[in-house]
Amino acid sequence: MPEKAFDLTREMLDHSFAETVAPDREKLLTCIQCGTCTASCPTAYAMDYTPRQLWRLVQVGLRDDALHSRTFWLCTNCYSCTIRCPRGIALTETMAALKRLAIAEGVKGKEKEDVSSFYRAFMETVRRHGRNHEPEFLLRYFFLTNPLGLLGQARLGFDMWRKGKIGLYPHSIKAKDEVEAIFRKSLALDRDKEAHA
Amino acid sequence: MNYTYFPGCSLESTAYDYDTSARAVMTALGHKLDELPDWNCCGATGADVVSHLLSIALPARNMAKAQQMGDQIVTTCSSCYLNLFRVNSQLAADPELQHELDIVLGEVGLAYAGGVRVRHLLELLVTDIGISAIAQRVQRRLEGIRVAPYYGCLVVRPYAEFDGPDLPMSMDRLLTALGARVVPYVMKTRCCGGVLMTTQKNVALKLVGDILEPIRDVDCVVTVCPLCQLNLEAYQREVGGQLGTRVNIPILYFTQLMGLALGLPEAKLKLNASLAGTQKLMARLERPAVYA
Repeated sequence: MPEKAFDLTREMLDHSFAETVAPDREKLLTCIQCGTCTASCPTAYAMDYTPRQLWRLVQVGLRDDALHSRTFWLCTNCYSCTIRCPRGIALTETMAALKRLAIAEGVKGKEKEDVSSFYRAFMETVRRHGRNHEPEFLLRYFFLTNPLGLLGQARLGFDMWRKGKIGLYPHSIKAKDEVEAIFRKSLALDRDKEAHA
Repeated sequence: MNYTYFPGCSLESTAYDYDTSARAVMTALGHKLDELPDWNCCGATGADVVSHLLSIALPARNMAKAQQMGDQIVTTCSSCYLNLFRVNSQLAADPELQHELDIVLGEVGLAYAGGVRVRHLLELLVTDIGISAIAQRVQRRLEGIRVAPYYGCLVVRPYAEFDGPDLPMSMDRLLTALGARVVPYVMKTRCCGGVLMTTQKNVALKLVGDILEPIRDVDCVVTVCPLCQLNLEAYQREVGGQLGTRVNIPILYFTQLMGLALGLPEAKLKLNASLAGTQKLMARLERPAVYA
């Protein structure tokens, strides 16, 4: 992909962006643009910005371009980049931080809707039962994104059910109140921190 | 020895064959997996997208409960392994996170500040129990079975606690000791696509095609992770369509193949749960192929 040229103006740059996103800002700023992350990434072929390009956007503070990228939505959490980065930057954790920030800022886009709805459906199911329950989670997900998509899952769903791999009833835990309290308090502390930031 | 066992959500649904075979193998080796009572979901890859603190607090509840039973926790799922391991790693590096966790777990009368060692069953088998001790228990050598060991990501990355992150060998050595013919496999740690198989299917199908293409002629692949198993086995029709050839490879859990070598009956290993079918593999076991 040809590199996009940026006609940079001071107004485009958010110098605190790297600090907002990166769990270890100081390290991210030491990225030497070697591209080992991109070469190691199994889904780089489908991204708009390669991982290397994304880090540059974060470094210089091109906040909008970074947050509207498809790149971090296509991160599978495989940690190939993290383990190989010669600067030891926590790249996979930074991808997750970008997902959180894009959700918080209400960024639009198909990948964002698909992936964030998937995680929302998953976490709502876990919050209700304390554990995942595949059928409920997938119903929630396809209902949020593409109800017709359920048809595409029907054959596999039937095969899995026939093999005893999915059941209609959830395996709920006893201490559901504990899981609910952990969700409530974690999210409350996050909100407090955001308010003080 | 008795080990505190954290099965994780997949092991009681899509990967119940992994759970059953893991318990059976440990019993056959004279050990026992004691399930952690009333465990909760580790958060998988979802919690961290919602809240970083939640992604630590959910698995930490399990770690706190495991600490009441002993000083280690064994899991079979690679994603659970990562999330449990990550609690120890991040708490040790971040006092502020520890402080926040104390507040969250305090709500439910629990506390956790590190100290429980996190084990993946593969790591436990090859390091504590040992490959040579396992080899001595083999009742039926897997002669003539050609197997590709697929490790996936999270059992070796990012923590690489017991094996290399790019070309690990522990499972290769284990399977070789069982008599299997292990093929060299450069794609053994390439990502299966994880959750993208549901959210961005075309992107993930290509990854699975890349992983299966070089080993289309093996008798089976073995995995250590429920999501890897599902992604590699359940979409073979579509993957075959992309590669322009028929793909039908049973993707087993390493504990299922181990169980066969230890002489356990098929029913105890839930081989019938395989979507790709294991008839050809079993016929090959009865009548081993001869390779030059």
